[in-house]
Amino acid sequence: MKDKSKPEREELGVSRRGFLQGTGGLVAAAAVAPARMTVAGVEEKPAPVPNTGIRVTVNGVVHKVDVDDRWTLVELLRDHLELTGTKIGCDRGECGACTVLMDGRPVYSCSQLAVWVDGRTITTVEGLEQDGQLSPVQQAFVDGNGPQCGFCTSGQIMSATALLAQNKTPTPQEIREGMTGNLCRCSNYNAIVESVMIAAGTAPVSTVQETRLSPIMPLTTVGPETPRIDAVERVTGKAAYTGDVRVPGMLYGRVLRSPHPHARIRSIDVSRAEAMSGVKAVITHEQASVVWGAGSVSGGRQYNDKIKEITKHRRLLFDNPVKFVGAPVAAVAAVDRHIAEEAIQRIDVEYEPLPFVLEPEEALAPGAPKVWPEGNLSPDVENRFEPMTTRRGDTEEGLRQADRVFEERYSTAFVHDAQMERRACLAFWEGEKLTLYTPTQGISNCRHDTARDLRIPEDQVRIVCQYMGGGFGNKNQNQDTDLIAAILARNADTPVVVELSRNEDWLGMHGRWPTVQDYKIGVKHDGTVTAIELRGHSGMGGYRKNSGGINGVELYESPHFRQVFPVYTNRTVSGNFRAPTYPQGFFGIQSMMDDVAYRLGIDPVDFIRKNARRPGPDIEFTNYTLDECLTEGARQFQWDNRWRSVPGSDTGPIKRGAGVSFMLFRSGVGRSSAILRVDSNGRYTVFVGVTDVGGGAKTAMGMIAAEALGVPLSQVEVISGDTDRCPYSVGESGARTTVMTGTAVVEAARDLRRQIAEQGLPSGSDVLIASTTPDPNTGSKTRNCFGAHFVEVETDMAQGHVRITKYVAVHESGRLINRQTARDQIRGAVIQGIGQALHEDLLYDSRNGQPLTAGFYGARHMTHLDAPVIETTFIETDDGYGPFGGKYVGESGIVLAPAAVANAIFNATGLRMKSLPITREKVLGALA
Amino acid sequence: MKSFTNANVTAFEEAVTLSRETRRNGRSPVFSGGGSDLLGLVKERITSPDVLVNLRGVEGQDRVKDVSEGVRIGGLITLDALSREVSIRKEFPVLAQAASTVATPQIRNVGTLAGNLCQRPWCWYFRNGFHCYKAGGNQCFSPTGENQFHALFGGGPSYIVHPSDTAPALVALDSSIGIVGPEGGREVRVADFFTLPQENPIRENVLTPDEVVASVTIPKPAIGSRSVYYKVMDREAWTHAIVSVAVVAQFEGEVCRRARIVLGGVAPTPWRVPEAEAVLLDQPLTQALAAEAAEQAVAGARPLSKNGYKVALTRAAVEQTLAMMSDRDQAD
Repeated sequence: MKDKSKPEREELGVSRRGFLQGTGGLVAAAAVAPARMTVAGVEEKPAPVPNTGIRVTVNGVVHKVDVDDRWTLVELLRDHLELTGTKIGCDRGECGACTVLMDGRPVYSCSQLAVWVDGRTITTVEGLEQDGQLSPVQQAFVDGNGPQCGFCTSGQIMSATALLAQNKTPTPQEIREGMTGNLCRCSNYNAIVESVMIAAGTAPVSTVQETRLSPIMPLTTVGPETPRIDAVERVTGKAAYTGDVRVPGMLYGRVLRSPHPHARIRSIDVSRAEAMSGVKAVITHEQASVVWGAGSVSGGRQYNDKIKEITKHRRLLFDNPVKFVGAPVAAVAAVDRHIAEEAIQRIDVEYEPLPFVLEPEEALAPGAPKVWPEGNLSPDVENRFEPMTTRRGDTEEGLRQADRVFEERYSTAFVHDAQMERRACLAFWEGEKLTLYTPTQGISNCRHDTARDLRIPEDQVRIVCQYMGGGFGNKNQNQDTDLIAAILARNADTPVVVELSRNEDWLGMHGRWPTVQDYKIGVKHDGTVTAIELRGHSGMGGYRKNSGGINGVELYESPHFRQVFPVYTNRTVSGNFRAPTYPQGFFGIQSMMDDVAYRLGIDPVDFIRKNARRPGPDIEFTNYTLDECLTEGARQFQWDNRWRSVPGSDTGPIKRGAGVSFMLFRSGVGRSSAILRVDSNGRYTVFVGVTDVGGGAKTAMGMIAAEALGVPLSQVEVISGDTDRCPYSVGESGARTTVMTGTAVVEAARDLRRQIAEQGLPSGSDVLIASTTPDPNTGSKTRNCFGAHFVEVETDMAQGHVRITKYVAVHESGRLINRQTARDQIRGAVIQGIGQALHEDLLYDSRNGQPLTAGFYGARHMTHLDAPVIETTFIETDDGYGPFGGKYVGESGIVLAPAAVANAIFNATGLRMKSLPITREKVLGALA
Repeated sequence: MKSFTNANVTAFEEAVTLSRETRRNGRSPVFSGGGSDLLGLVKERITSPDVLVNLRGVEGQDRVKDVSEGVRIGGLITLDALSREVSIRKEFPVLAQAASTVATPQIRNVGTLAGNLCQRPWCWYFRNGFHCYKAGGNQCFSPTGENQFHALFGGGPSYIVHPSDTAPALVALDSSIGIVGPEGGREVRVADFFTLPQENPIRENVLTPDEVVASVTIPKPAIGSRSVYYKVMDREAWTHAIVSVAVVAQFEGEVCRRARIVLGGVAPTPWRVPEAEAVLLDQPLTQALAAEAAEQAVAGARPLSKNGYKVALTRAAVEQTLAMMSDRDQAD
């Protein structure tokens, strides 16, 4: 087939995976059992799989079992011994989620074969409880908020258990070293270390950082550190994530994905796959022409549903041409996972490779390869092929009034959500009713989207998500995996669970869009900014799943003009990730402003105070606490001692310096629903459509209900995550759940209290129910939360190594509902932000469009040893809105981290790092 | 994973025989120690063996014992056990340190010394299934591509770097490797064990099919011996070295009489830098001398388009390691 790409892009090689999966012809070099040829219509019998009888003791019980030689230990535990407490995060020994103890020592159970543990003793998380009592480590994780999403928790607990058996009173550094083989994407590293110290008896149970109360009335239930109401499930392995749910007779689904960055599918031959014994369904674009509405042009229902009907750029489930490496091409369902994996290898696809483009600016240049027929600028919600433009005031006038004008470019890389739980979906039909178990952050949105995409009534779709292993904003709607599972299940007339490998999740799911930001700033000699102009490019990948926006210019009082081009590229699709438009934009503009301050000889904190957006004639806030945050942070951090007026002036090969970043950040109210019920025993049940991604939403809803009802939390049960039982929720993303659904809970509680006052508690089997869907607003006022981060770094100028030596985060997030989970939302988000600042990227080879660093190892995720202690302070207020004055917390930490870290590096070294991630390579390059 | 047969053996000779028989039957065998790296390669379909010869049950080959030639370490010792072994920490700190920096506790609890030495490269082209030299193909994708982590020395036609931490330490210790194969046993100096791509781009060492690494022997340390291992990573843990430095030196007071400086992470084999060693000979180890030695260490570097930063980094790392050596307290 003819390669139509430009000479300088001549493909030097497609991955072997591509060859094996069906460009046809090439036989692998290593000796492989010969593939059987089939006669059409005759079912191919599988080759017998070697197996061995072993004897293994698991949690004190001896098992004699026949295992396939190729079964991993974790496969034996989860699939054949029904011990699903051990989770699989990557199946490659790169994350630690699957850690179990073998003869008392932690090992990755994904990286050991079952046959190898013959005669050994294995301990899993299920084996830790004694006589129904949690082990000391488990209890400590409950008390210390060790789990957020809980998916890494089993592995962390096993490593901690082994560590404490060797070293009864480890120091924090020894804990980090001992547990460095366990990643946590929620980045709850600080709390995990504290939990281990609690278990060791070396830390007080309450480890909340200083919280300053401004004069607000403390409440009874809302506020204090409260362990999650489902903490026990998370620390015992009993929490059932999607992959833990088993339905008798269920089939296993796998997806075949494109090995090419851009290609037309000429033909697909599935006959060899279909002929395999045990394969029950195979689908390609030829059988399943389904639009995945939420996959393109601004995502799921909560953003804009009308677009789905009018957009020119629909995303088909199996699209042709394929637009990125990892795009779905076909899917199979088979009686076991291994057959499914083999089956997708036997789908023969003939591709015609097309020219591809990887960088947004290149993609907009004349003559660039077209990802879509109209070109590479994504249309907006009204099908206009225009950039996103906003303006406030007159920047041309502002530039004329400026004494000096500065221009600079900043850029940020793609950052994968990389949640610990790989995407999966279990689908089954009962008559015309579809049920999906899927890790979605928005069960209502997912139900709506799925019904629309499959063209079935919404009330015929049930979505269930009781536990999910991380959701950082990318999952607040349905996913193509859900639709694939539903269709396979329909075709096979059997339940199907579709599973993704970690590599597939990386390429097939989403991450923060990479950006290029060109700033032009006008400023007066006294430091007053008179104009801000931003021209930005966001790389969206093959589809425009979410906005591509870049925030930050609106932080300042100055007039601004912003134009952002959301551009298609032949890369993994970009999507929402924790404050989707913010960390990248805040890095850009706050680095830019930090640089302007430097050139004018002004302290960055003073510069912020001078130029930040403030209450005024054209904007009124419900409250405004930026100055308090800055003052408190600067004081705690000792800004005057740590910040250097001359960057890079520290002597010696290792230089220290300090940086700052600030926020005004959305915290608006909005519509959501809640149902509250009371029975004759005075037991209350809260029904909310939330799913708890790890932020503690379930617990927060319970606490809010208890406070509003005037009863203890122990009398309240929370039912969530099931559309058959729970009302609408906006979906747990954007940090909105506490505020929006929390408000609905408060309203429902008021209504229920009124009913009880009028009628008394119900009797017998009667209940009282209150159902509300408030849609509050703050009138003409803007509701924000506020914060400031102060960071000190140490940079080794000879080796380019950056180390954070002090991190102070101050936030005003209204009234804290649960100060324990709030604290860890900040700390975890900050550490994620540090990862974005220093490490994470998805590198592509520009000659062949192949991704090279997909995966936890390739992306160099932060480990225990990388995570600094984040000193967190909350300034509490109650502005009269939200549930008891609660505001957004979940995203605030990540928004500020990259900017503060980059500014600290400048102050330490005198090197302005303009491109994230700030790797050792880049620092040394800047020094050269 | 593709299916395979696991075959347990209890002795190296049995392993070798089984490997040979498997090949004779037209099927492909592979030796398995800790298994972590191997399973990763199999799952990614980079290698598809028919028979895994499981060496875990081989007895007595995971010990450390004194022999006339020095100290013999069984190849099947886990990295964790090696890093904790009191005699190794005392006499060969460079080796104990190197072992302790590998990956994570979970991997060190099963990973073997032999496996660490025989580890396949972590080049992202190889690991992403590109049909390169290391996969039996006839090209290397790195020189005109993404080569940030590739070789500064000794590269061509493949530019991988050897991923082992214990390898540079053992070269610095002037060790030898005991191999068991169909022809019997042989001893190879560790410096001769690893092969450059210009010799054979497909393999990283001299093992012939059906040969297995059985042991490592290290000469007893001379009087006044000091050694240290320093590893540079691009996160704080769980990464192969961007550059590492293993130094073994013999001091008489503050004067260095002999030094072996070996770099990791910068070449397809552990890379000894005799020009740097020569600088230190018969001199007191001062900071200025360390800087000069470091300069010599990188004098022969031939950076690719994107790994030039490694030159300065290597120089700094050598200097740092020598500094650690000069105030070394050997008691552990």
